[in-house]
Amino acid sequence: MMPRTWFTSFCLAVLLFLTSCTAAPPSEFDQAQQDSTQSGAAAVADTAVSGGSLNEYFPQPAEDYDLVYAQEKTGFAQAKLKQAGTEVAVLSIADIRNNPDAAQKYADSAETLAGYPLAAQGNTGTGVLVADRFQVKVQSRAESFTEGDRQDWLEQFNLDGLAALDSP
Amino acid sequence: MSKPIFELVDELPEQNMTVRALKALDFLVPGEWNNLVGFKETIRTVTGETDPELVKQIGDRAIWLFNDKSEGYQRALWLYQTIDSADSALGAAALANKVGEKVPLLGFMSKLTPKADQAQTIDLCLKLVVEVVAFCQINGIPGDSIGDFVKSLADYSGESLMRMAALVCFDALIPLGPDFIQGTQAKLNSLSPQDLENNAVFSQVKQLIPGQSTPKQLAFIGESFDSVKGWMGGFVNRNDLSVAKVTGKLGQFIEVSDSKLDYLAAFLDVTTNYYEHTGTQTLARRLIERAAAEI
Repeated sequence: MMPRTWFTSFCLAVLLFLTSCTAAPPSEFDQAQQDSTQSGAAAVADTAVSGGSLNEYFPQPAEDYDLVYAQEKTGFAQAKLKQAGTEVAVLSIADIRNNPDAAQKYADSAETLAGYPLAAQGNTGTGVLVADRFQVKVQSRAESFTEGDRQDWLEQFNLDGLAALDSP
Repeated sequence: MSKPIFELVDELPEQNMTVRALKALDFLVPGEWNNLVGFKETIRTVTGETDPELVKQIGDRAIWLFNDKSEGYQRALWLYQTIDSADSALGAAALANKVGEKVPLLGFMSKLTPKADQAQTIDLCLKLVVEVVAFCQINGIPGDSIGDFVKSLADYSGESLMRMAALVCFDALIPLGPDFIQGTQAKLNSLSPQDLENNAVFSQVKQLIPGQSTPKQLAFIGESFDSVKGWMGGFVNRNDLSVAKVTGKLGQFIEVSDSKLDYLAAFLDVTTNYYEHTGTQTLARRLIERAAAEI
């Protein structure tokens, strides 16, 4: 009797092991996946401005720079900054109604640029928050594009014009 | 609901027939495509950020954006998947033990059915239209903006450029020959809405092709091809591209016979899913670029 019990236990253990192998291992992104697929979940706000209305506040590049518009989505516009054909940075304006948590880093920062709260993020990003509503960001895509370059390009946005776009 | 986007990107193969076939085209778009796989690796590569907390934040936001159906990313992925899944009968299983050795095309010929020129023409045009529509969905421009698409083709890079290179080589040049532009144009002109209706791939993607009726969709397909043929011709000329050049590169891992090009095309058709593979990479990149800007 004893060997059969062992054998059964062994088989069950193997089965358990095999079935546990087939399921995907837990991921740090499971929570976001679960939350964002609940009924009623949305990544964008109904009251966010249209992406197209943001384009006019981008810098007007001069000389050997080109601005190539990439995405234009709800409350969001993004363009690639190219220098002599090579992408050196990505410029964007985002309506933070889509993602209000983004405002926190500006609340925590004491720096300003042209009167607007300024914050660096990671190694490659710098942004300003305009009228507590629009996050204007420059992210480097080439190593030669420094924090100083990012701030220079941030200043070339029409930040005051953008502030006036804020509406309830 | 399909799989989570992070799983799809994590599960992109590092090596299979699709990857080998695309790598064979590196000579056309040198260094543009390095088969970036893995969700976190894609975030690190695209943004240049390595801080795990920041990578997690970007990933979370990208997942939210993908899962919001109103933002169009899911439709784009569905298009890339669907245009490829129609013809993958002979897939990974038949080739599982062929990695690292030359694939004898002859051995597979009994399992392959070359497509008639008309079916191949429709295939080529539908892949092109899928690119136009997916581009519009991902970038947020109206779904019938062929003009915007054509302008941005000049700016295509990375996996998107590789996808277009593969389209020209695997779905045009090899099956239809060096005069594929004129040939396709002629076939399109004689194609009836009924022919289109009878095409299995068309019936699968029909719902997302601009135009409220099959004749209007046929017109959109014609207009798309007409707008992109200049780019395709330029690509062929710039690279002095010939069938022999492409088969020469593929010959490094497939035993190709020049008299069996229709079989080679059929073989590539059923053993690769380059639209889905590189389409998933394009989508991941755009999601991550937006997420990194919004957090």
